[in-house]
Amino acid sequence: MSFLSNKYLLIALRIIVGGVFIYASLGKLMDQEEFSKAIFNYKFLPDIFINIFAIVIPYLELISGILLVLGIFTRGSSFTFLVLLIIFIIALIQAYARGLDISCGCFSLETVGQKSDILLRIIEDLLLLAATTIIFIKSNNLNSKETNYE
Amino acid sequence: MNATVKEVFIILSSSILIGIVANAVSPKGIALIRDDSNRYAIDTANVKKGSDLNKRGKLNKAGFYEPVNISVETAKQLFEKNVKFVDGRDANEYKEGHIKGAANIPYKEFKEKTIEDKLGIMKDMDKDKMIVSYCSSDSCEMSIDNAYEMAKAGYNDVKIYLGGYKEWTRLGYPTEK
Repeated sequence: MSFLSNKYLLIALRIIVGGVFIYASLGKLMDQEEFSKAIFNYKFLPDIFINIFAIVIPYLELISGILLVLGIFTRGSSFTFLVLLIIFIIALIQAYARGLDISCGCFSLETVGQKSDILLRIIEDLLLLAATTIIFIKSNNLNSKETNYE
Repeated sequence: MNATVKEVFIILSSSILIGIVANAVSPKGIALIRDDSNRYAIDTANVKKGSDLNKRGKLNKAGFYEPVNISVETAKQLFEKNVKFVDGRDANEYKEGHIKGAANIPYKEFKEKTIEDKLGIMKDMDKDKMIVSYCSSDSCEMSIDNAYEMAKAGYNDVKIYLGGYKEWTRLGYPTEK
């Protein structure tokens, strides 16, 4: 019984985490120039890597998000999100610590240039990180065929 | 674990591939390497107190006068001479407070406009008179971007005050809501 609830929990988490990332990727894809600026504002990456990140990250989010929602490559997509989230959290924390006036560029780019609440973003990302960690660990059990439904 | 590595590899390589191809064919595509050399041609650290304001930015190949960075001291002098200030932040931030007498031209909206619309928005400002562009602070880039948009629209003497609203209020200079 407890396994059953876990299974549905896992599906729900996959849809939520995948959905959040799909949503986040769309705003970035609409205006990569603005996303590039958002990354620039973090003063976190050397300039030559900024645009590569701005080009690749939205697709990483979109593709992994779709796979995670569909339950394909669950381990790979959740691992990708773990790495991305850790990078995002580090970037946010260093921006917060340095007192940078950034817009996070997290979701929609509407807020570029506005001061957004970095602490709130960090908490959001930590929650996502927790959910993604559960997906990553649990999906291992499902894939390893050792799971039986008794 | 091996399967996970394989999956991540597939996801990563397809993202890189799709990203680069999509960026190459997209009309809104960006350069693979970010180039800010043009925008930061003038080092703000070198802007001296009371810099020579009769000297305009140079006319560049693209056919517009390049905006020039100014220090807070210069910005204050210009403010006292009633030079027009333009606030590039969003309307709601502008409403919360701005440099006294500044006009609000939100960069996000402004950059999407056609030249005619830009000139319409700026119809009260003289193309040959000085304009000071600012936003929230030196880590906000809209002061620079907005200045370039205005310069490209034909404004010949645009200054960029990078310190922005943050520095202005910290020094207790005149603001209004």
